[in-house]
Amino acid sequence: MTTTLESYLESIRSGLRLGPAEEREVISELRTHIEDSLQELKETGLSEEQAAGACLRLLGSARMIARQIYEAHSQGTWQQALLAAMPHLLFGALFALNWWNHTFWLTVTLILISAAVGYGLWRSKPQWIFPWLGYSLLPVVIVGILLMHLPRTWFWVTIPLYFLIALWWLHNTVLQAMKRDWLLASLMLLPAPIIVGWVLAVEPDFTFDEFSSARVYHFAPFIALSFLALGLTIAAFIRLRQRWLRLATLMVSGPLILTMVAYYAQGRLSLYAFLILFLALGGLFAIPALLDRRIRRATKRVRAFTGIWR
Amino acid sequence: MVRRGELIKGSLDSLLLGLLEHQPMYGYQIIRELKRKSQGYFEFKEGTLYPALHRLEKSGMVSGTWQLLPNGRQRRYYTLTAKGLARLADERSQWRDFLTAMNPFMQPAD
Repeated sequence: MTTTLESYLESIRSGLRLGPAEEREVISELRTHIEDSLQELKETGLSEEQAAGACLRLLGSARMIARQIYEAHSQGTWQQALLAAMPHLLFGALFALNWWNHTFWLTVTLILISAAVGYGLWRSKPQWIFPWLGYSLLPVVIVGILLMHLPRTWFWVTIPLYFLIALWWLHNTVLQAMKRDWLLASLMLLPAPIIVGWVLAVEPDFTFDEFSSARVYHFAPFIALSFLALGLTIAAFIRLRQRWLRLATLMVSGPLILTMVAYYAQGRLSLYAFLILFLALGGLFAIPALLDRRIRRATKRVRAFTGIWR
Repeated sequence: MVRRGELIKGSLDSLLLGLLEHQPMYGYQIIRELKRKSQGYFEFKEGTLYPALHRLEKSGMVSGTWQLLPNGRQRRYYTLTAKGLARLADERSQWRDFLTAMNPFMQPAD
């Protein structure tokens, strides 16, 4: 097959943003189609180059094919939408029922998160795994907060190690999503500014005491409401087909939920904190998108240089 | 006036279901058959066939299976499912009703 056709298939592959198994099947099917078409065109007397050009014209735009195939595969079932929304709903329930300080229920939630992540990774990362994967960062955050309560010497000894492990875990988790689709990385990290917003509203200096618990009790219904809103956003995302609609859902609901946090925090979230979180929310979309662009360009260059397409 | 491209786009699912009713087929074969049976009327960008086939497969109307050819290549054959057959029967009935309703207006006056 000519380089032009291989490059065409590569353009489709990079626009698909599907799981590795689905991606392989789609490309393999199109490759067989191209080989059939080339053979028939050459039988009519066309040269290899002419046949490749005609084949491309008959197939149509690589970008359009990739987009349409993405739309054919992207929509999840209602069951998958519920599974994806489940971690948010679980945390929502913990706060709605005021079970957030029950060791038993927190342990059950963490076990459920670990089980879902393990199962999802084993089932070659379906779309619903990514919100769960995001919550797998939560134990890392909890350990970080606990470290702040260590004696000063121990704190300075453990903090570099903690940062190394935390950054490694964050990098791995985000990379898992980025490999598939940068939009899934944004989806995965969407709760982060919301959770940080509530933490800042409860205890801006992270020194949790008996007054913090009283404040969490006070805010619990509103925290539950924000998790419910996150769950609904994620369910809508999974059910939508078009990529631009998915992006719009995240870009609209993220700031809305953050505004909701600021409103229900009753002045405990400062304007500066709100603005920084708002910017962080923007970064959740901009950074993965830019990184994805750079990674794809680099991959394309490497493949063009080495001539490895398959 | 509706353009031919729009007409084909709107009828592609029905065309595919009708074509696969008789035998399992692979993508390239489907394109050739559509062209042959419609005497060239149904000619469209070949790449748009696969999203349509995948959409039908996702909704359970057709099922796709890989077959290994003697030369080592693989082809994906699509077969109509019971759900697809029921949908085809439904579309045929709608098409007949549409034709019956349109005929008095579109037949040339005697």
